[in-house]
Amino acid sequence: MKILALDTAGPHCSVAVTEWREVLTSLTERMDRGQAERLVPMAQTALELAGVGWRDLDAIAVGVGPGNFTGIRIAVAAARGLALALDIRAIGVSTFDALALDCIGPVLVSLDARRGRYYLRGYGEADLSPRIADPHELRALPLPPGTVVLGHHAARIAADLELTAGPETSTPDPEAFAFAAHLIEGGEAPAPLYLRAADAALPSEPPPPILDDA
Amino acid sequence: MTMPDLCLGIESSCDDTAAAVVASDRRILSSVIYDQALLHAAYGGVVPEIAARAHAERVDLCVAEALRQAGVGLAGLDLIAVTAGPGLIGGVLAGVMCAKGLSAATGVPLLGVNHLAGHALTPRLTDGIDYPYLLLLVSGGHCQFLAVRGPQDFRRLGGTIDDAPGEAFDKTARLLGLGYPGGPEVERAAAGGDPARFAFPRPLLDRPGCDLSFSGLKTAVRRAVDKLVAAQGGVTRQDRADLCAGFQAATADVLAEKTRRALAAFGTAAPVLAVAGGVAANRTIAGALRAVAAAAGARFVTPPLALCTDNAAMIAWAGIEQAAAGETSDMGLAARPRWPLDAGAAPQLGSGRKGAKA
Repeated sequence: MKILALDTAGPHCSVAVTEWREVLTSLTERMDRGQAERLVPMAQTALELAGVGWRDLDAIAVGVGPGNFTGIRIAVAAARGLALALDIRAIGVSTFDALALDCIGPVLVSLDARRGRYYLRGYGEADLSPRIADPHELRALPLPPGTVVLGHHAARIAADLELTAGPETSTPDPEAFAFAAHLIEGGEAPAPLYLRAADAALPSEPPPPILDDA
Repeated sequence: MTMPDLCLGIESSCDDTAAAVVASDRRILSSVIYDQALLHAAYGGVVPEIAARAHAERVDLCVAEALRQAGVGLAGLDLIAVTAGPGLIGGVLAGVMCAKGLSAATGVPLLGVNHLAGHALTPRLTDGIDYPYLLLLVSGGHCQFLAVRGPQDFRRLGGTIDDAPGEAFDKTARLLGLGYPGGPEVERAAAGGDPARFAFPRPLLDRPGCDLSFSGLKTAVRRAVDKLVAAQGGVTRQDRADLCAGFQAATADVLAEKTRRALAAFGTAAPVLAVAGGVAANRTIAGALRAVAAAAGARFVTPPLALCTDNAAMIAWAGIEQAAAGETSDMGLAARPRWPLDAGAAPQLGSGRKGAKA
């Protein structure tokens, strides 16, 4: 099973071509912006280096975040276009799933949600649906002893909650999205994992009363 | 490139997700629009992040539906044209990335198209008119006069220095508790109103040239509403109708007079005046523009409403014309929030560090 993985959820542009658990190519470029311009050319290069044609692909794996809204949409929209054109599945994989890949036992994955907050997801006995939490809410979570904390501020959170600190990386290698995609069933199209409502303000002033309304 | 036979167009620069298949003989095989009016209604205007979220999860579905309705597979296409700007960048990116995915996987050439060029070339798709012609683009986001001389040859004769008329309609609707989009709501309310009761300004009529302004008119409507509320604690239905009629009349007067001047500046014998954009659907405004065209001896062309407002058939058509003229894009195609059609004109909007908006 050959998979092309795409991830632009953070300040990077990453692609990988895999066959089962073998990495055929893995390319990552650091960038704050410009992912929309680089993503498809990098995917073309990765496929060429792997000696894999577009038609040889069995699925697209795409990082759905959480992270930069615009970044997530770049890869998700491309993956959905590719899947339509190739008539194969596009599989959305969260950064949580990619980071927690191959972990055994209770795991808490933390990502930077900015403004002092965390995106969190727990696995195993630390099972926790994806969410956003401030430090206070984080402390109130029911996490079993021995939970391994991965990702953003892993050491600080582990010390604070008397848990075990794991690696602090928040950016999985792109192949991790492909590997995690093997475990995801169901056919729904990938959608960004925002975990934050759209920033939108309702009109501040109500319209004037209509005097002759019944 | 010779003229591509079949083109898929994709549009996602504002609040409509659209895809269409158009043939080079001007046949529209399909034109699908998933509008987002319900998502934005509570806010009284388009919320960029909400729009971007919707586009990202709909654009591929919209493309699949357009292909299905046209009875065409991706392999049967000669070109994929996508709006690459100007517009709300999140939405533009969703369309551009989907288009790149489709093009990369199939080998069908990709072309990034300027959204405004799509509107500007629509009269050639719908009415087959020849170059050159004068276009008034008047919508929720844009207002400009363009001399259209070729598929990539546009000269701006004038445009709004602040808001677009469609924005002013939305704002007026919001001030009066009418629904969204504001254009049809204000027109409906204005039907029973006295356009002469409120003396609203006709901005920039006292200055030469074809530039327009609508922000002062917006403010005048707000002041009139505030005055009524202060005096009587609200507005009556008749007040509302009169305010809408007055606002609509002022907008029509400004557009008509500036169009008269633009026709004079355009200077061609027996010219064609084409009007595109959603505001052209307003009957008072369309009537005023038709009268101006008749007085100037110009032919008046308005594409049907579905092709006047945002759609993807216009993007497919612009792609066909521009590809035939030798334009190409590659997978490095960038989405551009700002992209003036007439690069030589002095910037009128957003002329800061990032350059002109449109």
